[in-house]
Amino acid sequence: MASRYDRAITVFSPDGHLFQVEYAQEAVKKGSTAVGIRGTDIVVLGVEKKSVAKLQDERTVRKICALDDHVCMAFAGLTADARVVINRARVECQSHKLTVEDPVTVEYITRFIATLKQKYTQSNGRRPFGISALIVGFDDDGIPRLYQTDPSGTYHAWKANAIGRSAKTVREFLEKNYTEDAIANDNEAIKLAIRALLEVVQSGGKNIELAVIRRNQPLKMFSAKEIELQVTEIEKEKEEAEKKKSKKAT
Amino acid sequence: MAATFFGEVVRAPCRAGTEDEEEEEEEGKRETAEDREVRRQLARKREVRLFRRQTKTSLEVSLLEKYPCSKFIIAIGNNAVAFLSSFVMNSGVWEEVGCANLWNEWCRTTDTTHLSPAEAFCVFYHLKSSPSVVLCQCSCYVAEDQQYQWLEKVFGSCARKNMQVTILTCRHVTDYKTSESTSSLHSPFLKALKTQNFKEPPCCSLLEQPNIVHDLPAAVLSYCQVWRIPAVLYLCYTDVMKLDLITVEAFKPILSSRSLKGLVKNIPQSTEILKKLMTTNEIQSNIYT
Repeated sequence: MASRYDRAITVFSPDGHLFQVEYAQEAVKKGSTAVGIRGTDIVVLGVEKKSVAKLQDERTVRKICALDDHVCMAFAGLTADARVVINRARVECQSHKLTVEDPVTVEYITRFIATLKQKYTQSNGRRPFGISALIVGFDDDGIPRLYQTDPSGTYHAWKANAIGRSAKTVREFLEKNYTEDAIANDNEAIKLAIRALLEVVQSGGKNIELAVIRRNQPLKMFSAKEIELQVTEIEKEKEEAEKKKSKKAT
Repeated sequence: MAATFFGEVVRAPCRAGTEDEEEEEEEGKRETAEDREVRRQLARKREVRLFRRQTKTSLEVSLLEKYPCSKFIIAIGNNAVAFLSSFVMNSGVWEEVGCANLWNEWCRTTDTTHLSPAEAFCVFYHLKSSPSVVLCQCSCYVAEDQQYQWLEKVFGSCARKNMQVTILTCRHVTDYKTSESTSSLHSPFLKALKTQNFKEPPCCSLLEQPNIVHDLPAAVLSYCQVWRIPAVLYLCYTDVMKLDLITVEAFKPILSSRSLKGLVKNIPQSTEILKKLMTTNEIQSNIYT
């Protein structure tokens, strides 16, 4: 059945599916994992770094991109589609600033990206964007925000979410571990993001990239050393928790 | 003929038959000597050849006639091959006993002297300490018209007694038909399909209808069913068809099965070897980030 209703994007199947949109969601699962956490005074984006070829310039392989000084996004899926969406979003951010003399709100730019994606699910001859995005930032009111968009053009606000390969596993981990204590302070929120990624990342801390935005501060990318420190701390805490468990058992 | 919404003219199939039918039949009869020669050459090109790489001589009899075995383990596809390479082949000394050379549109293994691990190949090994265990690592695609030849060259045309066959392979999870919602499927997951004579309980749940098995694994299983050989196929449904650590690890429950139990010794070391295999074989693709 699917083969007759998946060629042209503008065609619904008899049971109401838009197959091209669903196939685009499969393309998202081919990208490496990205996780977003909304803390009390911080928003964290963590991604599984793709291994870079020896001769490739690492700077040009980025999953976390700033859209403006106070908003950034991580994506999963087709690299080229992400580049196009990011460029359009960046232009929109500046255009908005020049027109209304205010920086965009996180919700505004998310809505812009989602509307752009939706247009491509309803245009003749075009295919949807094969990316999901996690957009984080602080608005003028100082409230942290985390939004997620998907190829269908829907967007929702989240407290914590994951996209890409193994997103389900990470989301289940977050559902169990995202508590008020876990995001009590900035460091705890960062640790939660790293712990969530360590559940699915194949070679530990070396393959994690992290970015945070704190209130009234610009985007900060963590260096490999800083991430290693956090990972060592997390491993220590894990060992201590296990020792306590075995003591209790005896 | 029908015109679609976009204006393209599509030829609609007609069950009543068309006027062109008679003409087509006559054309078919007019096959020239050239056509026959082309067909002969194509058949020769698509022949499956089994030979020993060390001596470069082809096998005169079928592989299992030359190397009779009680356990025959076949890995089809790169994830299954990686699983056997890391968990089974490193726990003993295996000697290569044969190699299959075949050509089709998806697989050209004509030059088998300089094979890199990333290329498609089909090699047979037996355990030096226990030659009744034969292993097949098949990462090339065997086309429909070549499957029967492959079976003949490997199994031969007479029944093999006292042999148990285990097949490992992968399939994309989008091929899995189920009435449950696909978002609740935790891929990768393992399913089993066995012949009537296989009496052991499989290591995972059986493959439900209407799902079917395709290609070489199906051909081997059918052969075993016809010749009453106990055989089991372990099919891993995954959403990552290229070499992937999580998919390979999904085969782990099979390590407890009777056919593999005695063959696996050092599991932590195997996991290390697997990780190494992943990094060396990673194909750099920048399409997805």
